[in-house]
Amino acid sequence: MKRLFGVTFFVATLAAGGTAFAFECKRSEATMEKPGGFPERALTMVVPYGPAGGSGQVAAAMAEAVTELTGVPINRDHKPGGSGTVGMTAYMASPADGYNVLEHIDDASSAHALDSSVPNPAVDLIPLVTSQVTFSQVYIRADETRFTDWPSFVEWVKAQDGKATIANVSKEGSMERVTMKFITDATGMSIQQISFDKGAPRYGALLGGQVDALFEQPGDVRNFLDAGQFKPILTIFDERPEVFADVPTHREMGMDFDPLLRFRGFYVHADAPAENVEWLQWAFQRAYCEDSYQAFNESKFMTVIDSYRDTEGSEQLITRSIDQYRDVYKAMGLDVK
Amino acid sequence: MIENFLAGTSALFGDPFTIGIFVFGVIGGMLFGAIPGVSMLTLAAILLPFTAGLEPAQGVMLFAVIYCTGTYGGAITAILFNIPGAPENAPTAFDGYPMTQKGQSGKAVGAAVLCSAIGGVASALVMMAATEPLANWAIRNIGPPEIFALVFFGLAVASSVGARTIWKGWMSVLIGLLIATIGQDPVGGINRYNFGLTDLAAGIAFVPAILGFFAVSEIFVQAEKKASGKYKAPKVSMSFPSFLELWMHKIAVLRSIVVGFFCGILPGIGATLAAFMSYGEAVRWSKNQEEFGKGKLEGVISAETANNAATGAAMIPLLALGLPGGALTAMMVAVFQMHDLQPGPLVFMMSPDLIWIVFAAMFYANLSILIIGLVETKTILNLLKIPFQFLAPLILILATVGAYISRGLVLDVMVMFLAGIIGYLLRRSGFSIPGIVLGLILGKIGEQNFAQGLQMVHYDLGTYFSRPICAVLIFAGVLTLATSIYRAFTTTQKSV
Repeated sequence: MKRLFGVTFFVATLAAGGTAFAFECKRSEATMEKPGGFPERALTMVVPYGPAGGSGQVAAAMAEAVTELTGVPINRDHKPGGSGTVGMTAYMASPADGYNVLEHIDDASSAHALDSSVPNPAVDLIPLVTSQVTFSQVYIRADETRFTDWPSFVEWVKAQDGKATIANVSKEGSMERVTMKFITDATGMSIQQISFDKGAPRYGALLGGQVDALFEQPGDVRNFLDAGQFKPILTIFDERPEVFADVPTHREMGMDFDPLLRFRGFYVHADAPAENVEWLQWAFQRAYCEDSYQAFNESKFMTVIDSYRDTEGSEQLITRSIDQYRDVYKAMGLDVK
Repeated sequence: MIENFLAGTSALFGDPFTIGIFVFGVIGGMLFGAIPGVSMLTLAAILLPFTAGLEPAQGVMLFAVIYCTGTYGGAITAILFNIPGAPENAPTAFDGYPMTQKGQSGKAVGAAVLCSAIGGVASALVMMAATEPLANWAIRNIGPPEIFALVFFGLAVASSVGARTIWKGWMSVLIGLLIATIGQDPVGGINRYNFGLTDLAAGIAFVPAILGFFAVSEIFVQAEKKASGKYKAPKVSMSFPSFLELWMHKIAVLRSIVVGFFCGILPGIGATLAAFMSYGEAVRWSKNQEEFGKGKLEGVISAETANNAATGAAMIPLLALGLPGGALTAMMVAVFQMHDLQPGPLVFMMSPDLIWIVFAAMFYANLSILIIGLVETKTILNLLKIPFQFLAPLILILATVGAYISRGLVLDVMVMFLAGIIGYLLRRSGFSIPGIVLGLILGKIGEQNFAQGLQMVHYDLGTYFSRPICAVLIFAGVLTLATSIYRAFTTTQKSV
């Protein structure tokens, strides 16, 4: 009964705060004439991840919204593997006629930061829209008794002499690994990162007590939050989102670093015909405002902070991220090319 | 439980539209499952947007039914043409195809139909009885070290399958393990052996490798026989396995249900490991290990019982904890979310009707495999009457499309043909194709879990042995390995 109350309370809190960021459609034109008949056939969207994960789902939701808005069908072409590099390479080799668009995440920015021969999403591509921007949190089990909040967690981890564990996706240069470096440097704690590339084993590891904590974005663990199984103890963002008003931010806990955000967006070749690009920018930015897309973003906790960036905003976000990653990589002693 | 099951049955069959969706899922899953590379995942991805227009129970039920029948579908092409529809059907081909060559295709297909149904129904029943406690037990007791130990245990017996000598068996497994290391390492993301090719960073995909090693190499072997006048078309046999034959394999069926269920319940593992592990266990417990890979009915029974037993089990962590076991169950999460639902403990509290419709549908979908399988098998077996000169190009076209379509990469087609050529040469030299594929698939799963396990035990290998399940599995694996090496030495000495 107690747990059920907790669950109900948490769901109610989410419902109240889930729309903390007031949505406003920033692309006012409801229609736009097709330039020279473009597009006169279906678009192809290259997705560098599988259909079931976060990228696959956002690609499906955006494709559906663009089709709803414009009547233009979009075929999704999933090319998973190599942390997004396989899909990126395939996309760069496709014709730059505007019929081919790409979905990608912040991994594309960090990959370019590490190796400048990899395409820069803000220069070699034109961002059509960034439609999901989110922050990360550190979670523990809700029934955890060894520690209950961030200060007690840090104290406990320090006492374990490097044997405490946290599950994340800690591939070299990943946002997770870089952020964990920020955290461990700032707190002076040593924690073993266990890298799980798939969500289910990662969440199962925390649920089953195989690891002590989890580094993740709130949208990906929403069902565990709704069920009262996970508890956030640290928000890695500059301010407390209303829905997580009780969770301290990293700055409040004395960690002075700029948070790295997870973002997903849509791109087109930089040398695609300008009028086609303009139409695509309208279509994707306006599709963001479609009810179906907004409902999708809300279900993914992507309305807690502003998820929308137009082309210019996306370029700024990407460029800032690349600079940040590059500085950190150098500090970490990685071979930045 | 019975009351809930009957309520689920009534809801499932009480509405003509729901029945239509059920039948569509059963037939669609079987058809797509049988097409290599395309698989049930393609069907599921196509259907995903349309489930938004269905009732939540109908949408989730449709995916659950596709999962059951799609897992079985790939067995037919594996047995008749050496083309596994999906990686989980690859062990079925190990013995199924040699049975076809011996004129026992009816027996192999019949056993696959029956055992898929038995494995699926058994796991559906366990799923109905104990979803929540089983899910909680699995995630608390099985972590990366245990999964690695399980894979090690499975690999320890792999040398016995299909090779001319045990040494060549081991070489085959090691070749598979070596291929598994191509691509980014599973923990640090460092590129290995990709020779600067971005597409290789993702490693060698299972589907083109399996199609190459099995289907393409087989065409080369048969073409060589045809050219040298030694080719004999496989006899088309319509005789199903007798009740006595099946009864003699009751222990294998039971063991495969347990192994399949155990593997299926682990988040992120699923039916592929289940089929390979179960096949390995069949070899381990057999008194005639050398007969495996050469057309032994028990091989088909073990693989097909286990992969379908894994389907019901994979629903357990999904429904009880919201943890999908593989790509198709991950898509089911999306179906739930489209209807503002989240799989996990809350769904049992908030949508019990949905849960029981899904449970009932999975039960009946597995029964449908039996009914449809037995009706259609005799028609399908007639495909073997197609002359080789027509069949070979058809298989090559199907395999090429299958290799390309899963990721849309020309590299995968090249990998398939290269695997076909290498497979052909290795088979001529007495190496084992099943051994290579076992090494490739178990190697990838094993390496990832070994690395994660090492991180968890702080790089102290000794700590592996402080985990009881892990210690038992590693000890049993080492024992099997030692026995195999001893047998290899004694066999060599006798032959000298």
